[in-house]
Amino acid sequence: MTQLGFYFNQTRCIGCHTCAVACKDWHDHQEATLNWMQINTIEKGVFPHLFLAFIAVPCYHCEDPSCMAVCPADAISKRAADGIVIVDPDKCLGREGCEKTPCLTACRSKSPQFGPAPDAKMQKCDFCLDRLEEGKQPICVEACPMFALEIYSMENLQQKYGEQKEAEGFRYSKKIRQAAVFTPKPEVFS
Amino acid sequence: MNTEAAETSEDQGKIVRTTSAFDCGGRCPLRLKVVNGEIVTIEGDDAPEPDQLRACLRCRALRKYVHHPERLLYPLRRVGEKGKGEFERISWDEALDTIVEKLTHVKETYGNESIFMALSGGYLGALHGAGGLVKLMSLFGGYSTHYGNVSSEGAVWAVLTQYGSVMVGHSREDLMNSKLIILWGWDPARMISGTNTMYHLIKAKENGAKVICIDPRFNDSGSLLADQWIPIRPGTDAAMMVAMANVMIKENLQDQPFLDKYTVGFDRFKDYVMGDEDGVEKTPAWAAEISGVPEQVIIDLAHEYAAADPGTLMDCQGPARSATGEQYVRCAMTLCAMTGNIGKAGGGAGGGLMGIPVGHMFRSSGIPPVKNPAEAGGKSVRGTLDLNLRLQKRMHTNKMFDAILKGKAGGYPADIKLAWFVANNYLNQLGNTNKNAEALKSLDFMIISELFMTPTARYADIILPVTSIAEKNDLTRPWPSGPYYTAINKAIEPLGECKSDWEIACALAEKLGVEDFNPYTESEWLKMFVELNPETGPQIKDNDKFRKEGIHRVDLPEPVIAFKKEIEDPENNPFSTPSGKIEIFSQRLADSNNPLTPPIPKYMSAKEDHTDPLTKTYPLQLLTPHPRNRVHSEMYKVDWLKETHPHTAWINPKDAAARGIKNNDEVYVFNGRGKLIIPAFVTEKIVNGVVAIFEGAWYDPDENGVCRGGCVNVLTLDEHSGGGASVLKTALVQVELAREGE
Repeated sequence: MTQLGFYFNQTRCIGCHTCAVACKDWHDHQEATLNWMQINTIEKGVFPHLFLAFIAVPCYHCEDPSCMAVCPADAISKRAADGIVIVDPDKCLGREGCEKTPCLTACRSKSPQFGPAPDAKMQKCDFCLDRLEEGKQPICVEACPMFALEIYSMENLQQKYGEQKEAEGFRYSKKIRQAAVFTPKPEVFS
Repeated sequence: MNTEAAETSEDQGKIVRTTSAFDCGGRCPLRLKVVNGEIVTIEGDDAPEPDQLRACLRCRALRKYVHHPERLLYPLRRVGEKGKGEFERISWDEALDTIVEKLTHVKETYGNESIFMALSGGYLGALHGAGGLVKLMSLFGGYSTHYGNVSSEGAVWAVLTQYGSVMVGHSREDLMNSKLIILWGWDPARMISGTNTMYHLIKAKENGAKVICIDPRFNDSGSLLADQWIPIRPGTDAAMMVAMANVMIKENLQDQPFLDKYTVGFDRFKDYVMGDEDGVEKTPAWAAEISGVPEQVIIDLAHEYAAADPGTLMDCQGPARSATGEQYVRCAMTLCAMTGNIGKAGGGAGGGLMGIPVGHMFRSSGIPPVKNPAEAGGKSVRGTLDLNLRLQKRMHTNKMFDAILKGKAGGYPADIKLAWFVANNYLNQLGNTNKNAEALKSLDFMIISELFMTPTARYADIILPVTSIAEKNDLTRPWPSGPYYTAINKAIEPLGECKSDWEIACALAEKLGVEDFNPYTESEWLKMFVELNPETGPQIKDNDKFRKEGIHRVDLPEPVIAFKKEIEDPENNPFSTPSGKIEIFSQRLADSNNPLTPPIPKYMSAKEDHTDPLTKTYPLQLLTPHPRNRVHSEMYKVDWLKETHPHTAWINPKDAAARGIKNNDEVYVFNGRGKLIIPAFVTEKIVNGVVAIFEGAWYDPDENGVCRGGCVNVLTLDEHSGGGASVLKTALVQVELAREGE
């Protein structure tokens, strides 16, 4: 099985949120609370010797997804062909229908999200399946003004960018095995 | 033209290739998907790398701007008190008839000079902007207007003084040739100085260039790129630059052959730097005291820049938007000359404008203007550096509201009775907003052409609804540098009863009985603009293809380098200054004898800088940087953008602790001109003694006069510098914890 993964060049990210806005546009997310792509900021140091980095957080489409493991309705699955983790809205019990919504706490990246409606179904980044099927890169990749993102098979990404599994603001877990490759920003202070 | 620009298919809707024309430094190719008259998704440029030009978050949210539920769709007449925003819908006929009646009344009663046109860059298209309307007003007998570009005047004045040209930039590929890049007050990640500029900068860094960021803030560009951040007190950049010159001169590091061959007046500058002029040597210790930058840091940077072969000092328009802002740009250009980096690959001429003569906005075509009869006669102002001469017929832009209040009695050229605001939100975007509101209340009649109920629009008597970028065909260019030309293609029909500024002018011309005002169709105009323009005429052979693709890219055989020919062959290519050389000393300025614009660049202190006794009451310096998630005040209403970067006041932990302020506390920021409430962002990323609030948030005064919207210009000055910069970055404030509801 091929596992698609997410490449993030942290040395290029300016934290502009263009990927996040493009994601909202493509997937037509009207709600302010829905962010399939999140941007976290890492700020370190004391004036004037500072270090600033960002981490783009889509769904990392883990090889052993914790959200999938805890879902009481078996609504979350991993596609055999490409390893993309998807949710079946027909099976999902919904924000108020699901007693504990355990997917929300299981995922350390906060990728699973519900809209504001009581019966909203869980949704999350699907690597723009519709675009991949058309042979296009996901919208975040296409949008990034710094050309810092790529989505490709893990094998290819590792060949191209090395096997760095961690970056500032991101820790790899051997248990869930996030499908991501990084060029981390070295912690050098200004 | 709509259809030829679109690839239409019945079920799927159509894709329209276009761009934006906001007052933004970028012009980014966009592909809008339109279904049933609505933009449903946006994709970017699909050219192969390295030509691909990528939009930022702002245009990625374009459809939320175009289809915003608060768009103004019909002409409106004010029914409530000025400023309250109470209006009723009227017809175009009624709106235009009222305007004709008022214009005629003012013309007959007070003269044409009492009609004031307030213009700006909210829409930067060639055809559908304000050009047609001002032409019509000239045909109507004339109008008063203002002088001085709010964004760039300090830098423009400085480059015209020193080089005689605004084309001071290199095409950005040339950054790959730089060994040292100094970002001095320049933050392209935020203000987008040309699409992809940040990408070129990171490529240069990856190529081994060292990057140094000098800014009171650890800004967005610096935090990505900088090997070193040199925090500096606002308004003191020129002092540090002068001290760097001192180090170079003392150690004989300057490129003397370059200075001898290409410049005039270096000796006069040297006399100032070494203290021979005024008895004060401008040593690093002297500058350290002023700027807060340690002496050794200044010395090291002087050494590093002098040794960089080549190095580029990228100054900017921003720090020049201050009380003595042009001096910072002049000092930067002088350092560029001293290091011999002008006209050289990988070097740079400074000047803060980045202009290259390929695709530059200043060289775009437009409706052919006619002379404004209200400005006829008197001395020609063409090419003058003497601001006072320019202000004999016009009000300075940052003084327009003072001029509205005081008129001729206040020394202004006219008594303004009627004002028409086009493509701007000046109440909000010029200094001293509370006073500006009083000025708008005092007008006999006010018209505004707008897309939204902006703070300025709330004071209008008549509001005319304007089409967005998606609702018309036009041409537009990036501010400073292509190398490319862009077409705006109509994606949707005008919403409601919106018209473009040009269509409004045409409708008004008809009412005024002006014949043959618009002899061509839209597509004829646009074709002519392309064909008759000295740049695009020879370049764009297939106009239909250009319109369909929305862009024409220019292949540069090698990077554009400012003043390359002036340096390589000075005999045949003199600089466009009176001396034909780079004027470190300007005789024109010596002749104008204005102490605010000395003939050589100098560090000068100013009102409301860190030395002002007013610091006892208002001890913090205020910065007003560009926002990232809107274009000035445009797009302010778009939630997708708002939520990405919350509107806050940046304050250093020391300044915050001294005031009992914690991160995210609501604070008042205030001075004698105004007061606003805003959450504090307590951060190490800003120098002690400085507060930064991003410009463009909308003015929203409560019953106590506190601006709840966080419009920073309630705190800024309505003044201009000696060279004509709007003083929007020199102001003193105090901050305190807001204890509302206690």
